[in-house]
Amino acid sequence: MSVTPERHGSPFPLRRDAVTLALLTGLTVVSFVCVEGLSRIYFETQDSLAQRWSARGAAALQSRNYKAAVDGYRTALLYARGNDGYQLGLAQALLGEGRIDEANGYLRNLHDEQPENGLVNLELARIASSKGDPGTAIRFYHNAIYATWPANEETERENARLELIRLFLRNHAQAQAQSELIALAANMSGGERSRTQIAGLFLEAQDYAHALSEYRASLRSNPRDAIALAGAGRAAFELGHYSTARRYLADAAVLAPHDKDSAGRLRIADLVIAMDPFRQQIRVAERNRVVVKDFAAAGTRLTACLSSVPTPATAQLQTLEQSWSKLKRKVTETGLRRNPDLVDAAMELVFDIERQTAAGCGPPTDTDTALVLIAKMHEGI
Amino acid sequence: MASLPILLTERHADVESDGSEVSRAENRFSTFLEYLFREDRFFLVLSVFIGVLSGLAVVCFRFSIDWCRIYFFGSGAQPSTLRLILAPTIGGLVIAVLVIHVFPLARGSGVNQTRAALFIYDGYIPLRTGVGKFITSALAIGSGQSLGPEDPSLQIGATLASALGRRLRLSRDRMRLIAPVGAAAGLAAAFNAPISAVLFVIEEVIGRWTAGILGSVVLSAVSSVVVMRWFLGSEPLFRIPQVGAIRPLELIAYSVLGIVGGLASVVLASGIAVLRPRCKSLAPWTHYFQPAIAGLLIGGIAALRAPQVMGAGYEYMDEAIHGHFTWQFLAILALLKIVATLLSYVSGTPGGMFAPTLFIGAMLGAAVGGAEHALFPLIAWSPGTYALVGMGVLFAGFLRAPMTSVFMVMEVSGNYSIIVPVIVANTFAYVISRGIHETAIFDVLTRQDGLELPSMEEQREEGILRVEDAMKPPIGPILNAANLPSWSARLTNVKLPGVMLVRVEPSGWSSVTRKEIESLSDADRGGTHLRSVLANRQLPCLHPDQPLDMALRYVDRWPVVPVVNRADLSQLEGVVTQSSVLERYRDTDSAG
Repeated sequence: MSVTPERHGSPFPLRRDAVTLALLTGLTVVSFVCVEGLSRIYFETQDSLAQRWSARGAAALQSRNYKAAVDGYRTALLYARGNDGYQLGLAQALLGEGRIDEANGYLRNLHDEQPENGLVNLELARIASSKGDPGTAIRFYHNAIYATWPANEETERENARLELIRLFLRNHAQAQAQSELIALAANMSGGERSRTQIAGLFLEAQDYAHALSEYRASLRSNPRDAIALAGAGRAAFELGHYSTARRYLADAAVLAPHDKDSAGRLRIADLVIAMDPFRQQIRVAERNRVVVKDFAAAGTRLTACLSSVPTPATAQLQTLEQSWSKLKRKVTETGLRRNPDLVDAAMELVFDIERQTAAGCGPPTDTDTALVLIAKMHEGI
Repeated sequence: MASLPILLTERHADVESDGSEVSRAENRFSTFLEYLFREDRFFLVLSVFIGVLSGLAVVCFRFSIDWCRIYFFGSGAQPSTLRLILAPTIGGLVIAVLVIHVFPLARGSGVNQTRAALFIYDGYIPLRTGVGKFITSALAIGSGQSLGPEDPSLQIGATLASALGRRLRLSRDRMRLIAPVGAAAGLAAAFNAPISAVLFVIEEVIGRWTAGILGSVVLSAVSSVVVMRWFLGSEPLFRIPQVGAIRPLELIAYSVLGIVGGLASVVLASGIAVLRPRCKSLAPWTHYFQPAIAGLLIGGIAALRAPQVMGAGYEYMDEAIHGHFTWQFLAILALLKIVATLLSYVSGTPGGMFAPTLFIGAMLGAAVGGAEHALFPLIAWSPGTYALVGMGVLFAGFLRAPMTSVFMVMEVSGNYSIIVPVIVANTFAYVISRGIHETAIFDVLTRQDGLELPSMEEQREEGILRVEDAMKPPIGPILNAANLPSWSARLTNVKLPGVMLVRVEPSGWSSVTRKEIESLSDADRGGTHLRSVLANRQLPCLHPDQPLDMALRYVDRWPVVPVVNRADLSQLEGVVTQSSVLERYRDTDSAG
């Protein structure tokens, strides 16, 4: 289109246009400056509102008032859309309120934006764990362990690994739990309390050797730690180191007289030591006396069992009873002194009886438990 | 423009010389100014200013809405029930008084007013209307009416552009186009999506693609977005989570979304079409209370644990995209938003339809996706993808802007992998909406207002007549100019039509009348005279696919116009004559 007469009708049309353009530029600049001022006021207001509401949210979250925390963080996000800290706070508040799906949504978004954020990964792992999805939970826990943390990085990583270990233990994945525990113990930065905690987890993971080692390490700095003593006693007991177990458990019983588990183990450990005819440095007479006592205990257990078990299940027990009756007259201190080979035969029968009766004859007495443990100890089970 | 430094340098040097040199330099400067201020170039420069100023206005508009919201509801995200009910009611009363007494043209969304400015009022939009739209829309959206800021932004931009155009005394043609330029700027800034804004203005406001206007619209849209981003940041309207690959089988699920979205569009459009004239026809004193009653009802909905339906609702769309709501709640929200939007819009409250459309689409999309996933767990539920596709679906179904809807979704998501489901679902929604509710909502509204603006959708769908529709085989022999003497001898005793085509090698055409042939046979057997006549009578050629309107340019001047093949200009496909063209138009009119 060419120049139209409407625009260039004045005597100095071009000059007028140039002036107009200059005025337009001036108007634009002035408008821009004014809006800049307005925008500063606007954003200052927004920032202050966001901070005020997020502070309320944080305080409420701290005091476990999750509803108020949700409100605070949600409002803060109105004024600072996409702020990761507020989103995380909101997710934690929602988790506290039990609104797991909503929290999951926020955390997933945060994870998309910050896949390396430790706390986000940890919370996602917890959600997956609570939803019964151990595969996803393990993945997020591993992410959390190797992620970045804003503060106390080592402690946070250890805590994440501890949670992962507990997840493994809940899911009976002992081997995976053990390997994580070994890694955790190797990089442990916490104090003796943490070490005791790890030792306890080793116990749960049935890694008694590492458990005992950790308890011992802990006891070196605090020999009067009742929990560590009881744990070390249990670990030694499970390993079949009854003398060691007895020593730790005895100390534990003194420091924590109400610890019934340790007291029970101590009793059994005492019995194992006392009733083991194959222990080292035992005199022959003493050994024969122990064998006679064990034989009698096994007979008592067998008789009690035969009277309580239904007939069809007693055939094997009756065989054992016949064998026991046959040997009974020979297994005396005199008989054993005359024929030392009977010791092995008698104890073999005792172990058979205890093994058979342990399966279906009701709760064993401490003596019977001790005999089973002795059987395990000497048969390499 | 490149010559500007040279010109200025030369002019500076000339100041040192004598008077004649100075005069020459002034002439050069004038030439440059003439070059710069030729209206088409000046219009492009002006488009940038329009974009910047519109961007600034939209930024202020956004601030105003937020401040109104804080003023009405307090700074908390969960206002008290009393505030939820009172704020939109009191806001409605204030808005009604303003609209009735101060800004009577500020009603509605603003899109149709811009179209009316383009087609009826020569680009004229009173500045007062824009100011009124700014104030009343900010009050309405800020007080919780279920309306959005985009359409008002569009009108604010158009008003600014119109005011500038009037001040600069632009020609009538330019004035007509300046409102859409401002509209694109306003919409682009509101959406933070320049491509969608340009497409929408071209698709729905102007209705045609022309190079002249496209440049200006693009420039203004881009400038306004740059300004908006300067102040509000370059974050897209929605934060889109990662979108995974979409399996072909899932397109069935998106088709279902298209169908549901199409039906929802029909419900919304029909509701407006039916209720708006009824509300308008009520006694005049009721108009003072209609926005307030709408506000009261919306406040009631909000108080019933659905405050998400208030205002534009972008923050809740964002939450839906990020899967923060259950699909059942999303479905309820979509339903309530339709009700709230109907209430707000039919009560004559100023405000836009874009945001509510997107809201309903997002909620519906995520809800449909969630329901499908619940029924068929194999279908992956990505709430973000479904919400985005849902937005496009409602946009295509309700606003009937199919192209804009596709680009809008891509632009706000920044993800091209969802283009296939968007196209599939939008097509379903568009076809269903068009099948059930024949007239597009903008056309319904203009007709209700007593205006007869061209319907962009009807124009798009209108069948076009082409040259081939009026083309007929040539009558009589086709002569060759090179063989004229022999032809004339052969034709002496043959009955000839009134006019015959003559091929002029290599690919030209001319015509000859029977009388000329007869006179030739008597006077000039060598054809010398006729050849000179033919050479001066070159016929224009048409092609079969050209619009029939084009033939009208020639058929009154030429008795017959050859229609030739595009690939071989010497190959004659047929001819058109004035009678054949008019006959074709008559047939179409009688069939219509």
